[in-house]
Amino acid sequence: MTRARHWQDLVAVEDLEPGDATPVKLGARELAVYDTVDGIFVSFARCTHGNANLCDGYFDGLHIECPLHQGLFDARTGEAKAAPATRGLRMVEARVRDGTVQVLLAGDSKGAQT
Amino acid sequence: MSQEVLTPITQALNDGALSRRELKRLMKRSNTPGLVHFAAFLLVAACTGFLVWLSMGSWWLIPAMLLHGIVLVHHFSLQHECVHYTAFRSRWINELIGNYCGLVIMLPNKFFRYEHCDHHTYTQLTGRDPELIELPVALSKYFAFISSVPYWRAKFGELGRHVIGRLNDVERGFIPKEEHRAVFNEARAMALIYAAVLAASMATGWWGAVWYWWLPVFMGEPVMRAIRMTEHVGRPNIRDMKENTRTNLVSAPMRFLCWNMNYHAEHHYASSVPFHALPKLHKKLDGYIYVEKRGYLGAHIDIISQVLGKSPRKGSRHAGSA
Repeated sequence: MTRARHWQDLVAVEDLEPGDATPVKLGARELAVYDTVDGIFVSFARCTHGNANLCDGYFDGLHIECPLHQGLFDARTGEAKAAPATRGLRMVEARVRDGTVQVLLAGDSKGAQT
Repeated sequence: MSQEVLTPITQALNDGALSRRELKRLMKRSNTPGLVHFAAFLLVAACTGFLVWLSMGSWWLIPAMLLHGIVLVHHFSLQHECVHYTAFRSRWINELIGNYCGLVIMLPNKFFRYEHCDHHTYTQLTGRDPELIELPVALSKYFAFISSVPYWRAKFGELGRHVIGRLNDVERGFIPKEEHRAVFNEARAMALIYAAVLAASMATGWWGAVWYWWLPVFMGEPVMRAIRMTEHVGRPNIRDMKENTRTNLVSAPMRFLCWNMNYHAEHHYASSVPFHALPKLHKKLDGYIYVEKRGYLGAHIDIISQVLGKSPRKGSRHAGSA
């Protein structure tokens, strides 16, 4: 079957945690949707250091802090900003269409869960 | 599929006692309450330091230094809040003041931060929690702990080990390898500052650092050891945060000094909640977590009663089973 990337519905904007990080599952993928001061951004949800789900951490509108060791990432670019995080987050291209956050990923769109 | 990675707030998110939105609201950070509290805390320390100065040459010097020391060792409470990055909204202020506090009480900030992460992830689990204080097996051990002699032996050992660039097995378990060098460098910086203060004292013949800082800290530390005991000692060695930690209801001055850390069960239940929101969380978790209404004294009555066998020792062999 094709592995080409295509736009898939992820979550309704109204279901996002306002000004915060919302955890969403898309099939087996765990994603984090950030409602930043610069718009909506999406990354894979696990910290690149200790694998904790970043959505449980503190979000200040720009940076997401890992709840386990307080490593810090820029939620817009995925850049690692503070130790022990050294590798950036894997970001996912995202857009909003008709009130829904969509992501550009391979595979089918079944099973998006908040 | 990814396996579950436990974090300090995993239980709070899974239990349902708080909704995710309530918890996130309580997690909001601010610089103002922390800076106001810090200014007041420094003022109190300045006042007790002034008492030391006033009592020089009299027998009042000893109680004055003890009182000053009790205030100084509570830099630990602020540092503790800083390593959670919850004392202030700005991360750099938490780093700056956390390092200042660590210098006052000889507790390197980055090292403590990583040690404390594992303390929260594995609270009370024997062999996993690096800050675990076992329920003493005898009254002599209880007093030995409070004396702070074992504490200072461990702290000087840690500092010396890190200055020469070594970690023991336990430390390697909780300090990420990316941070080993940073931990060594902060220990070296701290040792250098202490050496510089000592050298300056010898050169000038003015021993203020001893009378207003080091001696009071040594004198006050047993009080901090006794307070630290009330947090978990005598509670079960199980994973459940509702059971393994004790909140102590204490007077307003003590709440001020310890930055609300007497609400310790609430803090462990949701460690991302800043000190200024802990009273709110306390109300929210009323009846849900373990509370010692008689305060620190009541906690020690409970601990001593378990040490003496007058009440059952709380499940010290269940570590890791829950």
